[in-house]
Amino acid sequence: MPAFPSVEWFNAVRERYNTDQTLHSGGGGPCEATAALCIGDSVYLLEFEGFECAEIREIARDDIDQADFFLDMPMPEWIDMINNIQENGAADLDHTLSTIDLELEDGLPRAPGDDQYRRDLFYRYNQNFQDFFDASAGIATTIGPVD
Amino acid sequence: MTQASRVKKLTDSVAHIEISPPRLQWMGHSRQWGTRVKKGEHGLRLGDLNVGIYGEIPQHWEDQSRRPRGAADLPGMPPLPYHLRSKHQIWADSAADLYEEAIQHRWIPATDIPWSELSALPDDVERAMCQVLTELMQAANAELESITYWQEQMSYGYHEVKQFLAVAALTCARHIDAFRKRCLANGGGLGLESRGRMNRAILESRGGWTEAVVYIYLLRGFYIQNQYRLLLAHAHNAAEREIFANCLADHSRHMSYALDHLKYAITQQDGQAAVIQTLLSLGESTLARDIREPVQRSALAVVFGGGVEGGRQEGMATWHTMVRQSIHDYLDACEWLGIKRNMIQRRLNALLPPDEQLVPPERG
Repeated sequence: MPAFPSVEWFNAVRERYNTDQTLHSGGGGPCEATAALCIGDSVYLLEFEGFECAEIREIARDDIDQADFFLDMPMPEWIDMINNIQENGAADLDHTLSTIDLELEDGLPRAPGDDQYRRDLFYRYNQNFQDFFDASAGIATTIGPVD
Repeated sequence: MTQASRVKKLTDSVAHIEISPPRLQWMGHSRQWGTRVKKGEHGLRLGDLNVGIYGEIPQHWEDQSRRPRGAADLPGMPPLPYHLRSKHQIWADSAADLYEEAIQHRWIPATDIPWSELSALPDDVERAMCQVLTELMQAANAELESITYWQEQMSYGYHEVKQFLAVAALTCARHIDAFRKRCLANGGGLGLESRGRMNRAILESRGGWTEAVVYIYLLRGFYIQNQYRLLLAHAHNAAEREIFANCLADHSRHMSYALDHLKYAITQQDGQAAVIQTLLSLGESTLARDIREPVQRSALAVVFGGGVEGGRQEGMATWHTMVRQSIHDYLDACEWLGIKRNMIQRRLNALLPPDEQLVPPERG
């Protein structure tokens, strides 16, 4: 059973996201973007190409400019989101990326160098990223150590 | 007489007429023949075709005909009123990719929205939602009409932008369609017409497409984008969620083109940043007056607050947060573009919390 967060866990989600077409909702067209997720001390780089998440790897925090934008939340909030998806089959309206973004003082996405154009990709492909995380509902998950 | 014998008789009757062989001179007219673009991993995309002479995108396109870029010209073609013939007036490097994304991200309001998931809402919430959508419909319509007005004046030399904007206009039509259906499918109806000062400013802007982009997207775009974000977060059912998720993605794609175009225009045309700065100074008050308009403001607050009662406190607080975020997004974009906004117009400034205002409010 893969642990969240880990490359193994993300790859399990990726596999389901790429193969289960029911997960691609109307709002999720093709997506060309590279997102970084800052979870605890780890940073995961997710490359989306077309209708798939093509690759996931862990990178050093100094390499974060490889991403178009990054999402950085405290570990408990990541876990809360993942748990909510596991319980409901998909994020409820209080736990979508969109809602989390709205509830944070300065929003959720950040772009290296404050590049407005790259930050905007979060909104352009918001539903793709939501679909990706919702794909984790079907993945048996253990939660890794909380800092 | 059979059909075959009729044909033979006819052929025999004209056998003495001498017909010159076809010259087919047009076959020699190609500026570059033998092109074989291969499809890539994501198919054969519009941008992939920019090879050889077909990828030569000049800074200025003198030709005022409908000649496709790369085609041989036909002497004597009378000019057509393509007034936008300089690259800096319309171009964005991302246009071809955004076009591909736009045509692939297609959704059909009639069948892709789960209309059966609509559920009865309290009367005040239904009225507020219908009012919000009535105004958003008008904003989408102004965007559509502005795009089509300028699109027909854009030179064929920059077909990537023309094609992207053609789909953008269709996308606006799709939004109008979806909003109208939402209003008329859940026991409500359309609300009150908007005063639409910004709509008028957009539709009456005649200085060029870049000026229209400044008003539609840089100035008002973030306000619209943040409404979609919040309406998505406050969706009452799967149908509304699907509508606003699609609208957010679509509108953000239009914003991407706009920011990319403005960046290009500013870097390629001396003095463009100063022109945009002046336009923003003129437009900010108009936007602020639209934002403060009581009808849309209170309707949004009722939606965000879950009713008239909740709208007074929670709904208005959310509305203020939305407006604050919209103005900050706008200022961040200006900074990214290199447009100075050390001061913004008083009415817009007053919409920020006091400790975030760029200039002190006027006394007295």
